[in-house]
Amino acid sequence: MQKDHIRNFSIIAHIDHGKSTLADRLIEMTGTLSKREMEEQILDSMELEKERGITIKDQAVQSIYRARNGEEYMLNFIDTPGHVDFNYEVSRALAACEGALLVIDASQGIEAQTLANTYLALDNNLEIIPVINKIDLPSADPDKVRKEIEDVIGIDASEAVLCSAKTGEGVSDILEAIVDRVPPPVCDDSKPLKALVFDSKFDSYKGVLLYLRVYDGTIRKGMKIEMMATGATYEVTEVGVFKPAPVNVDVLSAGEVGFLAAAIKTVGEARVGDTVTDAVHPAEEPLPGYRKATPMVFCGLYPVENTDYDNLRDALEKLQLNDASLLFEPETSTALGFGFRCGFLGLLHMDVIKERLEREYKLDLITTAPNVVYQINKTNGDIELVDNPSAFPDPTVIAEVAEPYVTATIIVPKDYVGAVMELSQEKRGEYQNMTYLDEDRVMIHYSLPLSEIIYDYFDRLKSCSRGYASLDYELAGYKPSDLVKVDILLNGDQVDALAAIVHRGNAQVQGRRLVERLRSLIPRQQFAIPVQAAIGNKVIAREDVAALRKDVLAKCYGGDISRKRKLLEKQKAGKKRMKQVGTVELPQEAFMAILSMDKKK
Amino acid sequence: MERWEQFQGVYVHTPFCLQKCLYCDFPSYAGFTEDARQQYAEALCREIEVRSVRRELPVAEGATVYFGGGTPTVLSVAQIGRIVDCLKQNGWWKEPAEATIEANPGTVDEPKLEALREMGFDRISIGVQSLQDNELRALGRIHTAEQAVEAVRAAKQAGFQRINADLMSGIPCQTEESFGKTLDTILQLGLSHISVYSLILEEGTPLARLVEEGSVQLPDEEASFNMYEMTTDVLAKAGLQRYEISNYAALGQESLHNLVYWHYEPYAAFGVGACTFTGTERRTNTFDVWQFIKGWQEEEVCSRSNGMSECIQHASCVYKPTGENEGAEDISLSAGKEDSALWQTEPLDRKTQISEAMIMGLRLRSGVSSDVMQKRFGIDIQHYYGKELERLRQNKMAEWDRGRLRLTEYGMRYGNRAFEAFV
Repeated sequence: MQKDHIRNFSIIAHIDHGKSTLADRLIEMTGTLSKREMEEQILDSMELEKERGITIKDQAVQSIYRARNGEEYMLNFIDTPGHVDFNYEVSRALAACEGALLVIDASQGIEAQTLANTYLALDNNLEIIPVINKIDLPSADPDKVRKEIEDVIGIDASEAVLCSAKTGEGVSDILEAIVDRVPPPVCDDSKPLKALVFDSKFDSYKGVLLYLRVYDGTIRKGMKIEMMATGATYEVTEVGVFKPAPVNVDVLSAGEVGFLAAAIKTVGEARVGDTVTDAVHPAEEPLPGYRKATPMVFCGLYPVENTDYDNLRDALEKLQLNDASLLFEPETSTALGFGFRCGFLGLLHMDVIKERLEREYKLDLITTAPNVVYQINKTNGDIELVDNPSAFPDPTVIAEVAEPYVTATIIVPKDYVGAVMELSQEKRGEYQNMTYLDEDRVMIHYSLPLSEIIYDYFDRLKSCSRGYASLDYELAGYKPSDLVKVDILLNGDQVDALAAIVHRGNAQVQGRRLVERLRSLIPRQQFAIPVQAAIGNKVIAREDVAALRKDVLAKCYGGDISRKRKLLEKQKAGKKRMKQVGTVELPQEAFMAILSMDKKK
Repeated sequence: MERWEQFQGVYVHTPFCLQKCLYCDFPSYAGFTEDARQQYAEALCREIEVRSVRRELPVAEGATVYFGGGTPTVLSVAQIGRIVDCLKQNGWWKEPAEATIEANPGTVDEPKLEALREMGFDRISIGVQSLQDNELRALGRIHTAEQAVEAVRAAKQAGFQRINADLMSGIPCQTEESFGKTLDTILQLGLSHISVYSLILEEGTPLARLVEEGSVQLPDEEASFNMYEMTTDVLAKAGLQRYEISNYAALGQESLHNLVYWHYEPYAAFGVGACTFTGTERRTNTFDVWQFIKGWQEEEVCSRSNGMSECIQHASCVYKPTGENEGAEDISLSAGKEDSALWQTEPLDRKTQISEAMIMGLRLRSGVSSDVMQKRFGIDIQHYYGKELERLRQNKMAEWDRGRLRLTEYGMRYGNRAFEAFV
């Protein structure tokens, strides 16, 4: 295919604005798959992705499109994850394209993620084609959305394509717009190889598959390649493209998108953002923008049964084969025994890993509450990074503590501005600015501690705005904070896995709420259980879980046995999810108590 | 033949009450007419006859008989007599070591009780529940305290020497003081057996709803627990030892029939909602009175028109034996395929049988015999439950006593937590 007939593009959208449906429709319209083969939302292949309606891993699909001008074009569609946790992956996927479809729901208008993704696309100098989707809905107001695009984003929306991915209306116009408006790649087959890794996937037969965009040069089977960030070299065993099933090809040329296999054992060896070059004639410079993904959110993962420790490690290792941003290292808790401290890109990433461990590896896990990484400047001048509240040093050796902050963008109807500001203030946010998107909707910027975001900020934002608010955020570095460790004692024994880091000004209130919440979550046992919160040696709150005085079925005769047995079986199954900490049995929810303190008991 | 290879007990259920108590979730219904009760007695006899043709298990010599409910004594003397005769004629009532009938105050008088004695009942269990009128009303009982005491007296008068009174603790309006009075009064009547049940709020009962919506208050947990403790103390002083979680008796006066359940021995059961246990299967009859009556009436028709041999063949529509000589085929209760509208079968695998034998046996003060478990299931309890058992022993919830594993007083108090180790 001639270079000027190649179009590389991706789709950016706020969640639920119809990205996946549109992708399906494009694949169907180009005839890449027949109707019969067309599975709903084909690109979201992981079971979890389907369930949550989100895209976690990038995909890249090549199709050949015969345009209205009679000529054939190679369209490479690169799908991007739709969640802020995977921001870096989004930026690399966008870097692999020349254009992006900016999909906006015709009745919802611009949302926080729309903006964040648009800025990423603009950073990568992409041609942006506005697409106003869901015009079949009665509430659709394309003119209003068009105006919003011009006012808020500042790009010309006069040629925005109107479509309904659901009915198929306007989809062929989108394909034409891609051909007409997305520029072809600027590249050269004869230069030394430079290809960007924008995603990777572990395959148990072939090793890691690298998803590539070739900028210069060509890749063929048998050639020696080098990863420019790590210096590792491999021999290419396979080159291919996705249609969307993988199809081997002889060569991937400059400007094209595809995959290679080279007996790479883990995705950690060939990370997203790295540049692949020819080991024999290497390029002088790698492509810009490579960085190692840094986990932002940490939590402890412990098997309920100590004997499952090895299984948990095996499972984490397997997941890591396919997920370079998952970090884990062994950790010992006096309360929970042997487990792992795990680092994730964000909360969604954490939830997905947890669910996969439980679902695919059938592990019963106890997860401790997520926390951020604190930076501690000690009195002796050392700087320590703490990713576990229980490892928070003694206050006497701390000179200053800093915690990660984010810049949050919140878009909300103006009636809820007060509620959003009140919530953000409560969550230690610093107001930055506010702009009206139109007469109804407002965009607010806040600087907020990341730890508040990972607690319950998003849930509460949604509920205080009756679901209307949308949120996006980006990291904004560390800022000093007056933080203290609140310890929790059960039966007088400190439980390390329940420790929490909170702001000193809120410590009293948080400590009280935390013990109240724990009291309601800990099932009553044969003895009373004092639940205390303490800062250092000072107890700041106490509640008692009252003793259960008796617990026995009064009656069991000939007709009751099956029913009573089943009750006991159910009772026992419930306990399986509990962890014995000293003499107390704790349910999983207890470890997450700090996340649900504001919920009704 | 081992005890667990024969029916050691025979149970007959009467699903009628004059009024349904607010806490009751048993198969028992108010509002049936005399005509319906008559039809029920007939249907019951049909079930007894048909199931005699080919028994699931032989009936042991001296197998106990128990008429429960509901309120069996809402049936007339003639109806009860008809059922008893039917049991006798069909080999289910063979000089029973014990024959008990349940009775509720307000449904028996001395002549009726005498008639029951004559039929062969030698033990009576009276639903007293409480001897405080306000508490009885709050439970939805139809009788007063005085009527309850009168029923016990009448039973004695009629010649019953083995009398049980059922009592409840933790019920609405009850206090530790009022419960103490009930215990004192009942003890003055000189009974040899008393059952005291802590109230279980069963889901879906009117009482559960009333408590939920706050219009009825139960004694608090502390008070209920004190009543539970008081029961054991007060009854022990009067010579009634606790031999099961909720049952107390003078030495040798334990309920033999109920011991069959707790020893996990087979029993046959007839009537609506009744549950038969063969050792490897549990069969539960329909809970629907009219379905039961109609189902067994069809058998009646065939018996009258075609004679006995035909009837057996027709009965096979229900039991579905296979092979040429249908009447002589085994009527097995195996899973699923023989289930009909009249009953459902639950097969019990060996593991379940062992669990159930443990959780039933541990309700008894005497516990579970290691030898019996060895002989019956080929297991060594100690080994089979290894770690779990050790934990219970360390927590002082269970103990070994002369080759028997039993719960301690403390273990009984938290019985559900102890049983959990065995399911």
